[in-house]
Amino acid sequence: MAIVAAAPKGRSLWSDAIKRLRGEKIAVITFVIILLYLLLALLCALGVAFPNYAVINNASPYLPPNSEHWFGTDIFGRDVLARAAHGTITSLIVGFFGAALAVVIGTTLGAIAGYFGSRIDDLIVWFYTTIDTIPYILLVVAFSFVVGPGLSTLCVAIGLTGWVSHCRLVRSEFMKHRERDYVQGAKALGAGHARRIFIHILPNVFHLVLINFSLGFVGAVKAEVILSYLGLGVKPGTPSWGMMISDAKLELARGAWWGLAGATVLMFFLVLAFTLFNDALRDALDPKLKGR
Amino acid sequence: MSDSNIIQVRDLSVEFRTDDGQVKAVKNISFDIPRGKTVGLVGESGSGKSVSSLAIMRLIPNPPGKVTSGQILLNGKDLLKVSESEMRDIRGNKISMIFQEPMTSLNPVFTVGDQISETLILHQKLSKSQALAKSLDLLRQVGIPNPDERIKSYPHEMSGGQRQRVMIAMAIACEPDLLIADEPTTALDVTIQKQILDLLADLQKKYHMSMLFITHDLGVIADIADEVVVMYRGDIVEKGKSDDIFTRPQHPYTKGLLACRPSLDKNPRRLPVVSDFMTNEGQERTLNAEVLKQQKQSRGVSENQPVLLEIQNVKKHFPLKKGILGGVQSWVKAVDDVTLSVRKGRTLGLVGESGCGKTTLGRTILRLVEPTGGKILYNGTDVTGLDREQMRAMRRKMQIIFQDPYASLNPRMTVGAALMEPMIIHDLGSGREERQEMAGDLMKRVGLDRAMLNRYPHEFSGGQRQRICIARALAVKPEFIICDESVSALDVSIQAQILNLLLDLQEEMHLTYVFISHDLAVVKFISDEVAVMYNGKVVEMNDAVGIYENPQHDYTKKLLSAIPKGMPKHLL
Repeated sequence: MAIVAAAPKGRSLWSDAIKRLRGEKIAVITFVIILLYLLLALLCALGVAFPNYAVINNASPYLPPNSEHWFGTDIFGRDVLARAAHGTITSLIVGFFGAALAVVIGTTLGAIAGYFGSRIDDLIVWFYTTIDTIPYILLVVAFSFVVGPGLSTLCVAIGLTGWVSHCRLVRSEFMKHRERDYVQGAKALGAGHARRIFIHILPNVFHLVLINFSLGFVGAVKAEVILSYLGLGVKPGTPSWGMMISDAKLELARGAWWGLAGATVLMFFLVLAFTLFNDALRDALDPKLKGR
Repeated sequence: MSDSNIIQVRDLSVEFRTDDGQVKAVKNISFDIPRGKTVGLVGESGSGKSVSSLAIMRLIPNPPGKVTSGQILLNGKDLLKVSESEMRDIRGNKISMIFQEPMTSLNPVFTVGDQISETLILHQKLSKSQALAKSLDLLRQVGIPNPDERIKSYPHEMSGGQRQRVMIAMAIACEPDLLIADEPTTALDVTIQKQILDLLADLQKKYHMSMLFITHDLGVIADIADEVVVMYRGDIVEKGKSDDIFTRPQHPYTKGLLACRPSLDKNPRRLPVVSDFMTNEGQERTLNAEVLKQQKQSRGVSENQPVLLEIQNVKKHFPLKKGILGGVQSWVKAVDDVTLSVRKGRTLGLVGESGCGKTTLGRTILRLVEPTGGKILYNGTDVTGLDREQMRAMRRKMQIIFQDPYASLNPRMTVGAALMEPMIIHDLGSGREERQEMAGDLMKRVGLDRAMLNRYPHEFSGGQRQRICIARALAVKPEFIICDESVSALDVSIQAQILNLLLDLQEEMHLTYVFISHDLAVVKFISDEVAVMYNGKVVEMNDAVGIYENPQHDYTKKLLSAIPKGMPKHLL
């Protein structure tokens, strides 16, 4: 027993991947940027950073960027940087929950369809093909009319419309893996469906789930901006990049470009960091690229 | 003399950058390939033989690989120094190559005629119609039946052997000075292997080209190599004339390689392995002659022995074509009315070419695929009639070991977890500690270190992984194991170790085996009885010696004659 306990730890594919990620400069830098955004959102939410984001100061509307207000002020004299910083909360919440919901639905349905095949597969394929034919904006509009606008509506709407491509991917992976010898071997050992699905196949497709979550995150952040811009997003008054861009479109005519700039710059770095991190993640997790 | 040698490799070293630092794949090797002769390059996986040949083609992927020193002279010109465009002209024209896997080395979206013509148009500047005419001639030369029709075929319409012939046609299209054949027959059945070897030997004589034939199996090149170079861990341990190597091998590794291949005319109790001849450090070891001399005592198969498994009229048909209304119009009869029985404590060998239904039969017995008809009686119980719970209990008694040790272990699970999983499923052992102890015992039983339990499959070699698969099958203490081509993916030197292990386990644990393989020599070595399968049916069944001494069916005779003798013909 002592021998086993003292046995050296093996290198799992996950630890290999993390080691590779840590060796990639871009991965480390982008990961730090993402962490900084998280920290910013957390500090804003706790009221530590930019507590005055909602303070209206009618005396100083449309101030251009200066030493006190780095990104100027908006029509109500509110600090643009403070509002953009608080917009991070909305974006991260929508990004995380929207993508998570999509990935959970997609993985579950994809796994069931791919693993069991036959009639169940036909049904799920029919279902997602149908969903896929409805333009997602239409679906979101319908959804927010029924439930009413708001942050949670946005998350659910993005999650319910964004799972189809992920489901397709997981389904095809499960179809591939269920015939693999190691799964057949588990069956021969008496492993039931649940064990084969969750203990054997899922860990082997989980890297795709992770990559897709990360991609979905970027997609959801962008979707939030677009939907808020169209007036289908968060409730008016909630700081959000989409709202800020929507408001700024009128202000642009007055030459007040900073409202747009504040939201766009913050969004730009978050999306860029996530996209680059995604590339690094894919390289690190894809066993085919191992040893490159 | 550079005139007599087409290729001279001098002090070649190749390194690869890996996660664990620089690895020397080839260490300062030198050898020559004489004009018009065949050189066999032999060694186990990882010995650096393929890397050496890729270096000649200058196809080493960089990064991670790099030629760190040496020269490769083609007719006196250093290939490592010529420009990339010059090298492109040499590849396919002066030196060409055929690979192991005929299934993936042809482009699936072009006809074979187009693919052969492409080389001709590129290197010989022929017009499309000239190139096609020459392709037709080439297909005829490599023995493709109906070349006029087949020239328009796509790769998926051809069998593995035919595809390898097409690859050979492409390789010789420009009449190269040197043909590099990298394990060209390893993925093929024994009968096809023999045809391809004969074809290569004929073409080599006809075009008077040189050939570098890479293989892990010395037996394969006995008839066609003029010279042999033996590689071990990146070094050349021995080189010389083929006759000398086969009759008077000097290095213990070569001796081991020659001895470990099961042959049809010997009947050893166990196979010699490389480690009988050589220590881990490469030192010669005094042979334990007693062990090697022990002959297998025929255990005999008598009517009185209890039957463990009885297969009655088993069929497995796969639907091939469906009608508009979903009705099946035609079937592939993978297993067609097979009746067999396996006696307790004995081994039944199941032999046949790819596609003959032997693997399907094996999986049907375990109900990994459901049979279309027939009965499978295990100890009198019909396995086909069991419900899920009963089947799960039955799986404790019947196990399977697959062909590809790389695919049959879950890459995300430690070896310890993989070994303990069956214990958890069948509720063996109480608690984690006891199971861990049992898993450690299993590792030791199959010749691995207990301390490796926490490692992951990718940290093991192919042979070690196959040992783990065996350990996993043993974890439920089964009575009956199906070995589905369990040694076919392994090097001959490793194959011998695994076969010995299977024999030891059988003796110790009174196991019953069904051993499925395309290689009759392996089957003869391990089995008590042999059944020959052809087109889904069992065409012949006899005891192992009887099948060899007195084959009845034409297909059995063909199989027997195709097995490499492991010795040049004129020396037999």
